Amino acid sequence: MFEKVLIANRGEIALRIHRACKEMGISTVAVHSTADSYAMHVRLADESVCIGPPSATESYLNIPAILSAATVTGADAIHPGYGFLSENANFARIVEEHGMAFIGPTAGSIATMGDKVAAKDAMRAAKVPVVPGSDGAVENSDDAIRIANEIGYPVIVKAASGGGGRGMKVVEEAAGIETAFNMARTEAKANFGDDTVYIEKYLAKPRHVEVQVIGDGQGNAVHLYERDCSLQRKHQKVLEEAPCPVLDDATRERIGRICAEATARMNYRSAGTFEFLYENGEFFFIEMNTRVQVEHPITEMICDFDIVAEMIRIAAGEKLSLQQSDVTIEGHAIECRINAEDPVTFAPSPGLVAEYHAPGGFGVRVDSALYAGYTIPPYYDSLVAKLIVHGRDRPEALMRLRRTLDEMAISSISTTVPLHQRLVDDPSFARADYDIHWLESFVETS
Amino acid sequence: MSDPFDIDAELVRKLSDLLSETGLGEIEYEDGGKRIRVARPSAGTVAAPVVIPPAAEVSNATTPMADAGHPGAIASPMVGTVYLSQSPGEPPLVKPGDTVNEGQTLMLIEAMKTFNEVKAPRGGTVTEIAVTSGQPVEFGELLAIVE
Repeated sequence: MFEKVLIANRGEIALRIHRACKEMGISTVAVHSTADSYAMHVRLADESVCIGPPSATESYLNIPAILSAATVTGADAIHPGYGFLSENANFARIVEEHGMAFIGPTAGSIATMGDKVAAKDAMRAAKVPVVPGSDGAVENSDDAIRIANEIGYPVIVKAASGGGGRGMKVVEEAAGIETAFNMARTEAKANFGDDTVYIEKYLAKPRHVEVQVIGDGQGNAVHLYERDCSLQRKHQKVLEEAPCPVLDDATRERIGRICAEATARMNYRSAGTFEFLYENGEFFFIEMNTRVQVEHPITEMICDFDIVAEMIRIAAGEKLSLQQSDVTIEGHAIECRINAEDPVTFAPSPGLVAEYHAPGGFGVRVDSALYAGYTIPPYYDSLVAKLIVHGRDRPEALMRLRRTLDEMAISSISTTVPLHQRLVDDPSFARADYDIHWLESFVETS
Repeated sequence: MSDPFDIDAELVRKLSDLLSETGLGEIEYEDGGKRIRVARPSAGTVAAPVVIPPAAEVSNATTPMADAGHPGAIASPMVGTVYLSQSPGEPPLVKPGDTVNEGQTLMLIEAMKTFNEVKAPRGGTVTEIAVTSGQPVEFGELLAIVE
């Protein structure tokens, strides 16, 4: 087992990783920018190394600085968290070349799944259903026009090197395809350094359903059931639930099994998530995330299983600590992502958190790096807390969610707690009657 | 790196003085595997973790960061291992009291097997070398003062 793990991330996930390490007797190294010198996980970690100024490029994305910090502290493994370098195949490779373990998948898996075209090919080969589309990159606008007509409008043009909701253009009808195609290429080049794009059918009212898997790279893999992450604003998830409230058991077993088998077939190592659009009883693969995800806690709550600890064990060479027959769902869990943003305008609201009181009690978990007196820096994303509740069933989880949101006190910054409070009281949400477009229209009409 | 843990009375006194001066309830100082905490008896009223004001010298980290206020402070531009001479056994590139020119190499920082020169941003006199050869340094850490 590792003696020392370097946490190459910040905020709540860095704290999450630190906690898992400490529970396994592993000492932690927190690397941080100058803006994060007083972050909770930096204060708690056994060692900390300042690696750069506030800009992410010069700190959390700075591979030489992170590797240097790992070398001087003698870390034997690095956990990349989510975002930042977690899906940078180059980073994964360099870490291992330097004799340290990368707590995540192999560079090869990351590269394959990071190329959204190659990922779809791999899924097709692994018998995972995919969204009907161009079956590869679309090279020029003539092809785009032809393919879009074959697929049938509406379609969506996506960047092959994009993902996470970025680099996408919806085209409702034929008149718009050429412009959208060209714009998508230009933007993809600017944002991801690669102008390769592909086209998919755009589904009208799908839900976003994703399946958590974990493999040990030694041929073993399990699924940990699914999450419904349909509630999104500008392609960013706002609230997630597990399991998906509209699937029946037969369906969830089927899609879970498909994903677990694909994971084993690919000999995939570490945690991963298969993301699907689900419409009219059918699943359509969109992408695989080769990292631990923000919303992993709701799966942990329903399966009673520590995903981050398992990632660490697997990275240290151990086999999966459970078999599929060990995995069962207990109850229902919901996570609210609480951002430091105005709950109506979504304008960022960094600054001093003079007061912070997290809710507690039975079935409540708060993953947050906030503390009273902490100043939220303006340089990074706005997620500041994850409020997670678990109940024996969805109605109980909803009651618990309403109660805990009323207890959560964060001042004097603005947060999206009021948005979640409105959401919890909405009849459509209470009936789980929503799709991936629902939240945006809810927000507009509020 | 396992030294016997001698109680440094001078350090404890220094920490206690800091407590009084700053009005803090407790200070915890850590160096490698050794940790000292100095607390005032009435500090129990503070429920939240003590907010350490940015100006405090002593924080959870041991490293003296280059004080932005000091005009001559030279901060480490990167993470790595600092060396004071060109090669082992050679005399240090500069020592306190030396006059240096702008652009003169003061020390080297090694990271990922490459050596990077730390150069004087302006001419002046070296008044302090704050690190020892072979010591790990972090971004922003105080390396030297050139006045």
